[in-house]
Amino acid sequence: MSRNYTAQGTLQQIYDVVVVGSGATGGWAAKQLAEAGLKVALLEAGRAVTPKEFTEHMPTYKLKYRNHSPEVVRTRPIQKQCYACMEYNYEWFVNDLENPYSTPPGKPFTWQRLRVLGGRSLVWGRQSYRLSDNDFKAASRDGYGDDWPLTYAELAPYYDIVEQYVGISGAAEGNEMLPDGRFLPPMKMSCGEVLLRERVKTKFGHTVTIGRAAILTQNHNGRLACHYCGPCERGCSTFSYFSSPFTTVKDALSSGNCTLITNAVVSHVNMDNEANKARGVTYVDRLTRQLEEVRGKAVILCAQALESTRILLNSSTREYPNGLANSSGALGRYLMDHVVGAGASGHLPDFKTLPDANQPQRPNGIYIPRFRNTPSSNKHSQFIRGYGFQGGAGAEFNFSAEGYGASLKKAVKEGVYGISLGAFGESLARWDNYCEIDPDLKDAWGIPALRICMIHGDNEAALMEDAGATAAEMLETAGAKDIRAQAGVEVPGMAIHELGTARMGSDPKKSVLNAFNQAHDVKNVFVMDGASFVSSACQNPTLTMMAVTVRACAHLIDRFRRSEI
Amino acid sequence: MKRRELIRAGVLAGAAAALRPPLDMAQSATQSSALTPAQSGVDASKDLAAPGWKPLFLDEHQNETLIVLSYLMIPATDTPGAKEALVNRYIDLVLAAETRETQRTFLNSLGYLDGESIRRFKAAFRYLSREDQDDLLHALAYPRNASGWTGERDAMPDSGHAHFQALKQRIMTAYYSSQIGERELGWDGAFAHGNFEGCDHPEENHK
Repeated sequence: MSRNYTAQGTLQQIYDVVVVGSGATGGWAAKQLAEAGLKVALLEAGRAVTPKEFTEHMPTYKLKYRNHSPEVVRTRPIQKQCYACMEYNYEWFVNDLENPYSTPPGKPFTWQRLRVLGGRSLVWGRQSYRLSDNDFKAASRDGYGDDWPLTYAELAPYYDIVEQYVGISGAAEGNEMLPDGRFLPPMKMSCGEVLLRERVKTKFGHTVTIGRAAILTQNHNGRLACHYCGPCERGCSTFSYFSSPFTTVKDALSSGNCTLITNAVVSHVNMDNEANKARGVTYVDRLTRQLEEVRGKAVILCAQALESTRILLNSSTREYPNGLANSSGALGRYLMDHVVGAGASGHLPDFKTLPDANQPQRPNGIYIPRFRNTPSSNKHSQFIRGYGFQGGAGAEFNFSAEGYGASLKKAVKEGVYGISLGAFGESLARWDNYCEIDPDLKDAWGIPALRICMIHGDNEAALMEDAGATAAEMLETAGAKDIRAQAGVEVPGMAIHELGTARMGSDPKKSVLNAFNQAHDVKNVFVMDGASFVSSACQNPTLTMMAVTVRACAHLIDRFRRSEI
Repeated sequence: MKRRELIRAGVLAGAAAALRPPLDMAQSATQSSALTPAQSGVDASKDLAAPGWKPLFLDEHQNETLIVLSYLMIPATDTPGAKEALVNRYIDLVLAAETRETQRTFLNSLGYLDGESIRRFKAAFRYLSREDQDDLLHALAYPRNASGWTGERDAMPDSGHAHFQALKQRIMTAYYSSQIGERELGWDGAFAHGNFEGCDHPEENHK
C-alpha cells in the first residue's frame, strides 16, 4: 500500500504525537496529550464545525422537504438508515457515493458514520454506562472468548475522570452489572416510567433507572444545563450534551500544543522499517486531493473502529504484509456490533395525561441493566451473556388514529400514553466476523475500501427472542394494553456500536494491542477507539472507549517522560 | 500546486489552519464547507404559498382530487384544515422528487379512489356529492376482518383500506409537518419550556 503513494508535500514539524480522528476518543487523546505538554497534530477527515450550523431550534416546516429530502436519499442511501441523519444535518454524514464499502452476498452491514470535526460525537445517543468485571472477565465466568487484559479496578479511576469532565446525569443504583459513577443529578422519570420501575422491581426484582446520559442537568465546566428542546443530534447551542469539538478539542487547541488539520483523509501509517517504528501518516487532502505527510514520534488511531483498522490494513509493508502490526493475524477480526431488533410497545390506558406540544422534551429514556446470566441469577439455558433495555413512557399524539375527518383531528390531539422497551444485546466476538481490504474498491480519494463480513449468530438470535418476550411481560406487568412484541435481529451495524477488529490482549500471538492500546508489533502505534474492545458487553460503549483512551494516554505520557517513545 | 499557492488561493482552508492560531481555525467560517440548506439558515416555509404555483408532478385532475380528499381527511374545524395547509402542494413537491415506483404507488392509490367512485357512483371522486364522498371513504376507512359467522380464518386482501391508509398517511404527514399543523397540535413556537419535571406522585398512584 505504501508504495502506491509518494507524498509530494511534507509538513515541516515533527510532532510528538499524530492523532487521527477528532471524535469522542480522538478529542480526549488530543486534550490529554497536549495539556501534558506534548506537541500534537490532530487530523480530521471532515471539515470544521461551528455553532452557526446547529439547527436544533429550526421547526420542520422551514425545511423544503420537511425531512423527506431527495438529496438524503440520493447521496446517503446507507446513512439515512441512522435515525440522526436527516434533512437538517445530512452533510455531517459521509456521502455514501464517495465512501463505498462492500459486503458479501447475504451478509448486509450498515456502516453509519460522519466526517466532520467531532465525528459521531455530534449526533451520538449520549447514553453512558460503565462496564463491570462481569464484562471484563466474562470469558472466565462462562468460558466463551477472552478476558480483557484490564480490570474494572484499573479502569475505574479513568471512568471517574471522564465522567467528571463530560458531565453524566444519572442515578446510583448499586446494581451488580452496572457500576455507579460520578453523576450529575438524574433527569426525572415520567409517571408511566415510575410505575414500570415499581412493578418490575416487585415482580421481577430488576432495576429500572433513568438513562445515564452525557447531558448536563446543571451548569458544568463552562457549559449550560440542558434546556430540554429535544433534538440533540442537530447540535446544541448551549453545549449541554457532550460533543468533542466544543469540549476536548477546544481544550486541546487552547493548550497551544495542538495543531488541528481538517479535511485530512488519512490513507496509511508511514513506517521506518529499519527501526520498526511509525514515522507518521499520509493523508489525502479532501478538497485538493493532494497527498501530505505528517510526521510524529507516535501515531494514535482514533478514527472509529473500522476506519482505524482500515488504515492499518492499508499500511502493509514487507515486514507486515497483511496489515501493519498484524503478526497475530487478528487485525480485522472479531468485529462486533450490539444486536438490536427486539422489544415491545403498548399503551397505558389508565393514564389520562394529554400530549402537550409545549412539554419540555427530555432527550433521554429509561434503562434496565442486564439481568440474565448475572452473578445473582441462574445460568440461562438458551444463551450466554445478556441484554439491557432502553425505552420510555409518556403521552404522545396519536398519528395512528383511525378514521378521517374532524374525529381524526380530535383523536390525534387526545393522544395515547405510550410505553416501549428496546433491547441492546451483547454481540459475541467471533473470528469469522471481520473486515478486510476489498482489492477492487476504492473511495473517492483513491484509498482502498473495506469489505465487511459480519452476521449475528444463534446466541444473538436467542437473546433477542428472550428480550421480545420479556419486554412484553414487563409492559403487561405495568398494565399496558395493545402490546406488540418484536423479537427480530436487525442488520449488523444498526446499533452503530462497531467494536473490535484490533483487539487488546495479553498474548501478542492472539491480539493486536496490549492493555494500553499499544500495538504489540510496533511500539509507537496505538489504537484508542472501539477497535480495541475484546468483548462488546451490552452497554453503550462510548464512555468505556473514552475511559480506555484516557488510561492509555496516561501511560503514553509516562513513556514520553521516560524517553521510551 | 504547492501548499503556499493553495493557501493563497483560499481553497485549502482546512489544512491551512494548521499554520494559523489553532482556535481561529477551529471556529473559522471561511472553510470550504458543505452545509445543508437548513444549516445555512434557508427558510423554505413560504415556498409553497408562492403566487403562480403550479404542480411539478400531479396533473390538474390529480391535484384537484388530492385537494378534495385532503380536505375531507383533515377538514377545517375551529382550526384550519389540510386545504389551508396546502397539503396538496407539499405532496406534489415530495412526489416530484420520488422514485418512479413511489410515484406509481401513489397514483395507483389515487386512481383506486376514482375507480371505486366511478364503479359505485358513475363519476370521479372529486365530482361526487359530499354525501357520496363520505359513503365511499367510510367504506374504505376501516380494515375488514374475516367473517365470524363462517369461521373463515384469513381475511380477503383489503386493498381498498390499504390505498386509503397510504393516502391518509401522506396527507397526515403533510398536514402535521406544516406550520398550520404545528399550531393545530398547540405548539406555541417556543423551544424551551423549562425543566422536565417528571413524576412526583406517591407509589402506585401515577396518572
